[in-house]
Amino acid sequence: MDDNLKLPYWAIGIGIALAATLIVKDPYISSVINLISIAALMAASLRFVMLMGELNFATAAFVGIGAYTAGVAVTILDWPFLVALVLGGIIAALISIVFGFVTLRTKGPYFLLIGFAFTEAIRILYSKSMVLGGNSGMVGIFPPMALDAWMPTFVMAVAAILIFGLYVLERSDFGRILTAIRDNEDVARTVGLNILFCKIACFAAASFAAGIAGSLHAFVNNVISPGDFSFLLAAFALAYVKVGGEDNVVGPLVGAVLLVTLGSYALGLGGQEHIFYGTAIVLAVLLLPHGVTGIARRGWALIARKEK
Amino acid sequence: MSIVKSMKFVVLGAVFGVAGSVAGANAQEIIKLGLSIPLSGSGATWGKGSEFMCKEAASEINEAGGVKVGDVTYNFECVGYDNKYNAAEGTRVAQTLLNREGVKFIGGSLGTAPVKALQSLTERQGVMIFTTAWGSSIKGPDFPLTFTQMNTPFEILPQLIPYIHQAHPEAKTLAMLNPNDASGQETESVANGVWKKTGVEILSSDFYERGTTEFQPIAARLASMKPDIIDLGGMPPADAGAVLRELDSLGWKGVKVVEVGTGADGLKATGGDAVEGVYMGAGVTFDGPDVTDHQKKVNEDARAAIGESLNAIQIGFYDSVYALKAGIEAAKSIDPKEVAKVMPDVTFKTFYGGEIGFYGMDSYGSRQQMRLPVIVTQIQDGKLVEMARVVPDGK
Amino acid sequence: MQTAIQLILTSLQIGAVYILFSLGLTLIFGVMRIVNFAHGHLFAVSALVVAYTVPWLADTGLPVLPAYLLAVIAGVAVAMVLGFLMYVFGFKYFQRDMVGSFILSIGLVLLLDGILLKTFGGAVRPVPEILPGTVTILGASVTVQRVALCAAAVIITAALYWALTRTKLGKALRAVSIDHEAAMLQGVPYNRMALAGFMIAAALAALAGALIAPISIVSPVIGADYLIKGFIAVIIGGLGSVPGAILGGLFVAAIETFGGFYLDPTSATIAIFVLVIVVLLVRPKGLLGHG
Repeated sequence: MDDNLKLPYWAIGIGIALAATLIVKDPYISSVINLISIAALMAASLRFVMLMGELNFATAAFVGIGAYTAGVAVTILDWPFLVALVLGGIIAALISIVFGFVTLRTKGPYFLLIGFAFTEAIRILYSKSMVLGGNSGMVGIFPPMALDAWMPTFVMAVAAILIFGLYVLERSDFGRILTAIRDNEDVARTVGLNILFCKIACFAAASFAAGIAGSLHAFVNNVISPGDFSFLLAAFALAYVKVGGEDNVVGPLVGAVLLVTLGSYALGLGGQEHIFYGTAIVLAVLLLPHGVTGIARRGWALIARKEK
Repeated sequence: MSIVKSMKFVVLGAVFGVAGSVAGANAQEIIKLGLSIPLSGSGATWGKGSEFMCKEAASEINEAGGVKVGDVTYNFECVGYDNKYNAAEGTRVAQTLLNREGVKFIGGSLGTAPVKALQSLTERQGVMIFTTAWGSSIKGPDFPLTFTQMNTPFEILPQLIPYIHQAHPEAKTLAMLNPNDASGQETESVANGVWKKTGVEILSSDFYERGTTEFQPIAARLASMKPDIIDLGGMPPADAGAVLRELDSLGWKGVKVVEVGTGADGLKATGGDAVEGVYMGAGVTFDGPDVTDHQKKVNEDARAAIGESLNAIQIGFYDSVYALKAGIEAAKSIDPKEVAKVMPDVTFKTFYGGEIGFYGMDSYGSRQQMRLPVIVTQIQDGKLVEMARVVPDGK
Repeated sequence: MQTAIQLILTSLQIGAVYILFSLGLTLIFGVMRIVNFAHGHLFAVSALVVAYTVPWLADTGLPVLPAYLLAVIAGVAVAMVLGFLMYVFGFKYFQRDMVGSFILSIGLVLLLDGILLKTFGGAVRPVPEILPGTVTILGASVTVQRVALCAAAVIITAALYWALTRTKLGKALRAVSIDHEAAMLQGVPYNRMALAGFMIAAALAALAGALIAPISIVSPVIGADYLIKGFIAVIIGGLGSVPGAILGGLFVAAIETFGGFYLDPTSATIAIFVLVIVVLLVRPKGLLGHG
C-alpha cells in the first residue's frame, strides 16, 4: 500500500459523521441518516463495477438478495443478528460469482440490460415464493433491542467500513487492473491477465457490499417486499453516482446525501414527487457533467491558482 | 400621504391581518390524519380518490363543529404521502408521518406491503391505524391498534359466491385468474375455499403480473378450458375488462365474476360491451331510488376531481374519519391507545347510510372490522345494478 | 390444431406491436449508441392523446373512423414534438455516451411519469371500438381491429425496411450505425443523421401507441410493459440490428403467448427473462448483433 490512501482524511471524515449520528436523537432524522448510509453504500458498489467500465444494474438484485437472506436468517432460521447481516453479503457475493461467470462475457449495453432482466426476474421469483411471503413481503426483521438506539451509528459505521474497503481495493494494484480493463481489455489481456477472473472478482466484491446494503435495508425497515428491489433502485444508485460525480470515491457519497435529502423533502409533494426528482436528475446530468464534486474541484483549482 | 407611505400602511395592515388570522386558526386544535396511499403509478387513482374522501369527511366534520373532547374542539386535517405500493416506500412514509408530521392517527392506508411496513412502526409507537389492506395476518389480538375500513374477501365472498351459485345452479365448472400480488394471492385463497364449499369444480387458478397490458394469451388459456364461470377475483377493473373483451372475441359465454370489482366505469373503459352481466362484490351504485342526495353529490365532486366514480376502497377513507370522531369523543381523549380501546364499542355514521359498529370475532379473534353492508351488484345494460345487500351478522 | 393456429395468430398480433417498438429502440441505439428508457413515454403520450381526442371528435358528430384517423395524426404529432424536445435539449449532448444518456433517460422517465399523471389523470381512458366485429382465420377468431393493427404494422415495417435499404437517408443511417467515423469521413453529416434516426424512432413509437390505443389499457403507465418487452426483444435480436428487432419481437411474443397458455402468465414472464440470459450466453451480442 502507498501513502496515497489519504488515511487521515478518511479517519476524520468517518469520525465526524459517526459523532454526528450520536448527537441526533430525533427519530425522523435518524431514519433519513439510515437511508443515506445505505444509499451511499449502494452507490459505492455500483461505482466499483463502473471502474471496469460496466454499468451493473444487477446491483438492485443483489441488494434484494442480501435483504431476503437476512430476513430468512432472522425470522425463519432464528440466527443471530450479526450472522444474518454478514450472510446477506456472502450469499449475494456467491450468487454474483455464478451470475458474473455467465454474464461478464458480454459488455456494455448487453451487460446493462441483462442485469436489468435479472433484477426483474429475481423480483418476480420472490413474489411467487410463499416462504418469502409472496408479494406482501417479510415482516418482523428486527435488530437486537440493545442496538435500537444506536442503529444510525451502526449502519453508518458498517457502510463506512465497506466503502473504505472498496476504496482501498480501488487504490491497490487490483484497482489499476480494473482501470486497464476499462481502457482497453485486449491490451490488458495481452500482458497475461485473466480478464474474466478479474472482472468476476470486482463484481463479487461490489456485490458483497450491495448484499450488506440489503441486509442493512432489511434491519432498518423491519419489513421488505419484492417491490422494494425493482430496477429503479439501481437507477437511483446511478443517479447518486452521476449527480455526485463518478471520478472519485467521494462523489457517490455526496450524491447520496444530496438526493436522499431532496427526496425526503419531495415526498411531501405527493404526486409531484416524480416531477421534482426527475427534474433534479435531468438538470444535474445536463449542467454538471462531472457531478457536484467535479464543480467543487474546479472551484478549488480556480482558487488555488489565484493564490499562487 | 405619499404613495410610498400609503403602500407601507397597506403592507403593514396586510401583515397584521395575516398574523391575526394565523392566531385565530391556532385557537382551534388540529388532529392530523395520516394517509399512506399510492399517488403515482397504476394505483394513483385509488390513492387520489382516497385522499379526496378523507378530506371530504374531514371538512364535513369541521364545518359541523369539529370533534369535541371536553372543552377543546379539534379539527381534522388529512396528510397524504405516496407509498408507491412497496414496503421500502411504505417505511419512508411511515417514518415521515409518525416522526416528522407527528401523526397519532392513520386515517387510512392502501396496499398490503406498505401497510405492513407502516404497521410495524405504528404498533410499536402506539399510533392508531385504519387500513384497506386484506389478509388475516394484519388484524387480530396481536395488533390492537389496527382497524379495517372496508370489506375484505373474508366478508364479501361468503355472501357473493353463494348468491351467484344460487342464481346459476347450472354452472358446474370454474376458472380463476388473479394478479400476482398480495391482494390477489389472498383473494384467491379465500375464494378457493368458498367455491369448493358450493361444489363447483375449479378447473384452474392462475396468476398474472400487474402492469400487463396484453391479455390475449391468458384469455385463450381460460377459454380453452370451457369453464361455466370465470372468476377474475382481485383484478383491477381495467385489467378485468380487457380479459373479458378478449374472452368475448374468442366466443366464450358464461357467468362472469369480478369478486372485489369496485365499479362499472373501469371495466367498461377496456371491456366495452363484453362486461355485460358481470357480478361484483365491492361495487357501489350511484343511481337508483335508494341513493341519497349526499351520496350523489359527493360522487359527482369525486368524478370531477379524479375522473372516476367512487369505489368501496375510497369510501373506506370517508368512514374511517367518522369512526375516529366517534372514537375520540367516546374515549374523551386524543390518546390513540385510549381511542383504540373504546373503538370496538362505538357506532358511527357510514357513507352507505345508517349507524354501524365493529365486528370480526369469528374471523380474526377481535372486533376490528367495520360492519359494512356487503353489496352484490351486476352490470345490466351497461349500468351497475344492486342485486342484494346483506349486513353481515356475527360477533 | 385450432388451438395452435389461435396461439400463432395471437403471437403475430402481439409481436406486431413489439416489432414497431423495438425497431425504434434498435434504430436509436444503432445511430447514437444510447439506451433510451424514455422511449415508452413517447408511446404512452401518443396513446393518451388518441384516447382523449377520439371521444371528443366523435362528440362533434364525426364518424368514428375519421375521428380516429385524425386522432392518430394528433397523437403522432404530439409525440414527435416531445421526441424533438428530448433530443434537442437532452440526448443531443449525450451521443455515444451510454451511461450519461441512460441516466438522463431515467430522469426523463420520472419527470414524464409525473407530468403525464398530472395532465391525463391516472384513470384508464376508454377508446370506442373503431372497427367492430370479428373474423375467422383458419378456424381461429380474431377481432377486425387486431387484423387492421397487424396489417398496419406490416406496412410500416416494410416501408421502414425499404427506406433503410433503398433511400439515401436510409443508407446513410445504416452507414452511421455500422461505423460512424468512417461514415463521417465519407461526408455523412452525423448530427443530422442522429436527429433523423431519433425522430424516426419517435414516430415508430408514436404510431405503435396510436395503433394499440383502441385495443389496450390506455393509462399513463402503459409504456412500461412495452418498454421492458421491447428491450428484451432487441437484446435477443442484437442491438442495432433491424432484422434482429423483428426476430426478437416475434420471439418474445411467442414465448409470452405459448408460455401464458401452457403454463401461466407469471411463469411466462420469468421464462422471457431466462431466455434472454440463455441467448446472451450463447451469443453475447444477440442473435443477429454486430459491432
